[in-house]
Amino acid sequence: MQLEHSFTVPAGIEQAWQVLLDIERVAPCMPGASLDTVDGDDFTGTVKVRLGPIGLTYKGKASFVEKDAAAHRVVIDAQGKDARGNGTASAKVTATLEPDGEQATKVVVLTDLYITGKPAQFGRGVMVDVGNKLIGQFADCLAGKLGGTEVAPAPEDEAAPSVANAAAPSAAAVEQPAVAGSGAAAVAEPAALAGGSGPAAAEVSVAPSGSAAEIAAGEPVASAAEQPLTDVVAGVQATADSSAPGTDPIAPTFTASSGEAASSGETASSGEVEPIDLLSSAGPAVLKRLAPIGLAAVLAAVLFAILRRRQA
Amino acid sequence: MIPASFDYVRPATAAEAVQALASAGEDAKVLAGGQSLLPILRLRLAYPSTLVDLGGIDELSGVRDDGGAIVIGAMTTHDEVLHDALVAEHAPLLVQATKTVADRQVRNLGTFGGSLAHADPAGDLPSVALALDAELRLLGPSGERTVPAREFFVDYLTTALAPTEILTSIRIPKLGSGWSTHYEKFNRVAQAWSVVGVAAAVRRADGSIAEARIGLTNMGSTPLRATAVEQALTGADASVAAVTEACGRAAEGTSPPSDLSGRADYREHLATVLTRRAVLAAAGI
Repeated sequence: MQLEHSFTVPAGIEQAWQVLLDIERVAPCMPGASLDTVDGDDFTGTVKVRLGPIGLTYKGKASFVEKDAAAHRVVIDAQGKDARGNGTASAKVTATLEPDGEQATKVVVLTDLYITGKPAQFGRGVMVDVGNKLIGQFADCLAGKLGGTEVAPAPEDEAAPSVANAAAPSAAAVEQPAVAGSGAAAVAEPAALAGGSGPAAAEVSVAPSGSAAEIAAGEPVASAAEQPLTDVVAGVQATADSSAPGTDPIAPTFTASSGEAASSGETASSGEVEPIDLLSSAGPAVLKRLAPIGLAAVLAAVLFAILRRRQA
Repeated sequence: MIPASFDYVRPATAAEAVQALASAGEDAKVLAGGQSLLPILRLRLAYPSTLVDLGGIDELSGVRDDGGAIVIGAMTTHDEVLHDALVAEHAPLLVQATKTVADRQVRNLGTFGGSLAHADPAGDLPSVALALDAELRLLGPSGERTVPAREFFVDYLTTALAPTEILTSIRIPKLGSGWSTHYEKFNRVAQAWSVVGVAAAVRRADGSIAEARIGLTNMGSTPLRATAVEQALTGADASVAAVTEACGRAAEGTSPPSDLSGRADYREHLATVLTRRAVLAAAGI
């Protein structure tokens, strides 16, 4: 998922550039909360995201992978894992400064964001919103750091309602993020789904998707990356839509298995992830209860055959 | 899956509930009908320290007549809303939309207030509350306050409710004569969430449309009012052509999501089509 934010700070480009390079000041924005350790260009920290009832705490590390003083561009790579096993988040953030008049600097933040793990029982894919929130926080925080306390609202387009959110303490207006598929490979996604309940421990590799220039061109090319993400979301929604993800799939599987048990003496194995445990423990019980019925049916068939033969 | 452990409180009055929330701290969560919260707990996406169950508070249920409006208790279930004579008479739009909410089991337990407080932008009832200009009564440690629906929905799953506040009731002004309403929902499976939904209330006068209020479901991170359409409809001819033209602006100012149910541009198109259908049906054209 690709997000784009931009804002303007009331500081000259060189001054803003110095702040941008100061890990201690910028890193806690990456994106969100607190910085634990700093070691050269590498740092570790914790990010908390809250979306209504959902609380995610990503712990992880990040580092500057590029500092281009001439182009006024930095690239930060970050990876984090939810403290409670709700998946991973990784991001490649490219921040570029452009002069905007004498005493103002426009900051463009492009983010290749990758979030894996459990989606939820929501009307739509929650992960895009988690992404927007993460990057919204980062951009707001950066705006605050770069502009000191007096941050002027950007004379940009009106902030869209979805981003106006962000519990923004700073006054910087953040542009509507452009969400587009990125070219990165989303190998970790299906793994997260297949794990079902398990924490998405799969490592996420952020394959850099195209050059910064390409990203800046803003080509909204839908590609492979977006698909698996939404697939996962939809996968759970399919069961969640009926509002009882735990119990719903069990009932039909159950009847199917007892039917099979009566005819062939086998318990059906289901492809469902969740119900499998329940089924394997309940299967024998069902079988036991159905055994007399099956026996009776066989007896009846034998009797019937005998009777018919006699009649004939 | 089994939720993580939490403390459970079941107060008998709204005041006690607020008290319980205040003493339980930041990670407490209010449980209404539980039709959205329980799955989230079971998926272990939420880890509340305490659940404050409003299910034992009788004063939060039921519908009453309040002169120019009806007042619906926040814990009134969808099923109760569907079978209430006052709602049927004064807010048929709410009945029509509530009928499309999930399935019978969910409607038996899920509540009107819970649906608004959860604020899933794909939920049907928030946009209805918007179109009907509902007012929400919130109770907190420092007393009661009223928030119009337009200011209640702040962001994705986020409302104006403070962590220590509960939603107690929803006041829906009675629609006067000349008003009529319609809810148009598009989804792929009967019980599913809206891909897009449109709640329309239209007042006709002398062969034209005097006033219109349009609420949009799932066209942004909150439910939205289609203000461009509302303006274009005001004073417009009550004709198919005029309505179609006005409803072509339904996607203005929206930022719909892209997901497996549809891409953003598809939703934008859908919004114009569904708004036209909803307005035509409401206006009886």
